[in-house]
Amino acid sequence: MRYAMSRQDSSDYSDTLFSRCIMNKVPAILFLLLVPILIKAQGKGGDSLILRTHSTMLGLGRINQLDSYLSPLEYTGPQVRIVQENTRPTRLLRGRVSMQNLIQANFSYTKSPTEDSKYLSGMLDWNLALHYMWQPAPALRFLAGPQLGMHGGGIYNTRNGNNPAQARLAIDLNASGLAIYSFRLFNRSLQARYQLDFLLAGMAFSPEYGQSYYEIFSLGQEKHNLCFTSPFSAVTVNQLLTLDIPVGASQMRIGIEHVMRQTHVNHLKTHDWTWLFLIGYVRHFSLVKP
Amino acid sequence: MHHRTFHSVLRLFLACMFMLTAYSCITEDTFDNTPQGNFDALWNTINEHYCFFGQKNTQYGLDWDAQRARYSSYITPQMNSSQLFEVCGNMLRELRDGHVNLTAAFNTARYWDWYEAYPANFSDSLQRNYLGTDYFYTQGIKYKILPNNIGYIYCPDFDVSFGSGNLSAIFSRLAVCSGLIVDVRNNPGGQLTSAQALAECFINRKTTGGYICHKTGKGHDSFSSPEAITLTPAEGIRWQKPVVVLTNRHCYSAANTFVMYMKACTEATILGARTGGGCGMPFNSELPNGWLVRFSAVPMYDVNMQLTEEGIDPDIFVDLTTPDWLQGKDTMIEAAFRVLHASPL
Repeated sequence: MRYAMSRQDSSDYSDTLFSRCIMNKVPAILFLLLVPILIKAQGKGGDSLILRTHSTMLGLGRINQLDSYLSPLEYTGPQVRIVQENTRPTRLLRGRVSMQNLIQANFSYTKSPTEDSKYLSGMLDWNLALHYMWQPAPALRFLAGPQLGMHGGGIYNTRNGNNPAQARLAIDLNASGLAIYSFRLFNRSLQARYQLDFLLAGMAFSPEYGQSYYEIFSLGQEKHNLCFTSPFSAVTVNQLLTLDIPVGASQMRIGIEHVMRQTHVNHLKTHDWTWLFLIGYVRHFSLVKP
Repeated sequence: MHHRTFHSVLRLFLACMFMLTAYSCITEDTFDNTPQGNFDALWNTINEHYCFFGQKNTQYGLDWDAQRARYSSYITPQMNSSQLFEVCGNMLRELRDGHVNLTAAFNTARYWDWYEAYPANFSDSLQRNYLGTDYFYTQGIKYKILPNNIGYIYCPDFDVSFGSGNLSAIFSRLAVCSGLIVDVRNNPGGQLTSAQALAECFINRKTTGGYICHKTGKGHDSFSSPEAITLTPAEGIRWQKPVVVLTNRHCYSAANTFVMYMKACTEATILGARTGGGCGMPFNSELPNGWLVRFSAVPMYDVNMQLTEEGIDPDIFVDLTTPDWLQGKDTMIEAAFRVLHASPL
C-alpha cells in the first residue's frame, strides 16, 4: 500500500473538520438547543473522508486571575495564546474514533485593582482526546469521549517576598465533546464547531495553606502537595467556538475561547477566567489510496 | 440503535451544559475599598494567616478579636488615607513582631522595638579600627586576618546567595588563623538558604538545626507537624578551629536562624547580646487599596522545639562599654579574642 498526502480544497472537507470551537456557556446552550432546527435547515453537506486536520490559531483576550496564596485580590489584564490542534482518525470501533491533540500556550500580564502589583504568568496545556463520532444528519456530527490533560506553568507576583510565585501543575481526566455543523452561506461552504471540555477528576500540585516553597524545594518537605481534584474542588471548563471560512485555496479559522480553570484545595483558591478572540488557519490532509 | 445512542449523548450534553450554567465560580471573600473595608481586610488577613497568636497570647495576653473591636471604633467613612494608615499600623503594633509591616506609598508601619529599645552594641566606626580598608570583600561578606592571627568575617546580611566557591575561598584564605570571629551584628536577615549555607561550613556531619512547620488552615492553631531542618556539611572547606559568633539585638530573622544553627550544631561560642528574634518566615498579602501587608507565616523552632521569636541568648553576654569606645576598641571583638586565645586548637 502506498500513502501520499495531498492538500485539497477546503470545500471538500466541510463536514469532517476537527477544529476547535469557543463559546461561553450561554451561547453554548443556545447552540445545542438550536441543533434540531439546524439539522432541518441543512440541506446537504459533503461527506468526503478527511483523515487529518491541523490548525494553528493566535488568540488575544483578557484574563481574570485569583491565587489566594499570593493575594486575596483578583488581577486582570491581557493574555496572548497560541492554540495548536491536530486531529487524525484511528482504527478503533471501525474507524469511528478520532484522536485530537490540542496544545495551548499562553502568557498573561495582569494587574491588581489598584495597579500596585502585577502578575506575570505563563501556562502550557496539552490535551489528548479520543472522540467517538455520531452523524445524525449529513451536515452534523457529534463527537464525545475522554480527554487526558496536562497543565503546567507558574505565576509570579512582582512585589511579594517569601511567597512570590505559585507553580501550577495538574493532570486532568476530562470529558470532551464537539458539535460540528457544515452549511453553505453566500455560496461558500462553512463549518461551525463548538467544543466543550470539563474536568471529571485529576491531580494537582498545591502548597499547603501557609506552606513556603522553602520547605518544599529547599527542605524537601512535600507532604500533602499532590491533591485530588474533582468538579467539586476544581471546576475546570474549556469552551471553544470556531468558524472555518474558505479563503482562496486555504481556510481561515476564527473563534472565541472561554477557559475557566479553578481549584479550591488545601484551603487555597485559584481561578483563571479567560476570554479570547482567536484567528488562524486550518489545513486538511487525507490519505490517498492508489 | 445509533439514534438512541445519539439522543442519549445529546441529553447528556445538554445536562452538562445546564450544570455548567449553575456551577459556582471559585472566588475569595472580598472587601470594599473603603476605610472599613480595608481595615476589615487587614484584620482578616492577619487573623487567618498570622502564625504566632498562641505564643503572643501566652506571652502578654494578645487577643486579636479584642484588637478588632478596639481599633475598629476609630474607623470612620470620612477618614483620609493617613488616618487609616495610622489606625491600621497601631493595630499591627499590638502583635509586637518585627516581621509585620504595612506598606503604603508614603510610609511603612513597623514594630522595631526589638532592637530600637536596646543598646546598639555595634559601631562601624569601631569595626573600621579592626577591618581597616584592606579587607577582602565578596558576596557582601567582608573578611580579614587580624594582626593576632584571628580571622574576622563580617556578614552584614543574608540577602545574597552564597556560592560554595565563595565560602570555600573565604575559609581557604583564613585557614592559617588560629581562631575565627563571625560577626553577624546588625544583620537583619535575608535568605534562609544563605544562613544555612554559612552554618554548614562549621559542621562535619548531618545535623538537625531546628524544626519548621506551617499553617494548614485559617484557625489560629491549624499547623502541620514540625519537620526537621537538616544541615548537611558543606562540600568545600569547612572550619575546624574555634569560632566565636558576635550578636546584638539587630541580629534578626535569617541571622537569628544562623545563630540558632550555630548554637545547636557547632561548638561555636555565641558572644554579645541577645538576638532580635524573628523566627517566623514572613509572607505578603495586600489590601483592596493596594497597601502591602507583611506578616509572620511559617514558624521555626530550635532543636528543643522552642520558638526563638523573642531572640536567642548568647553563651557570654557582652555589651560595648564606654571606656573601650573611647579607646577605639570594640568590647565584643576584644572579648572574642580572649575566648579564642583561651580555646585549645
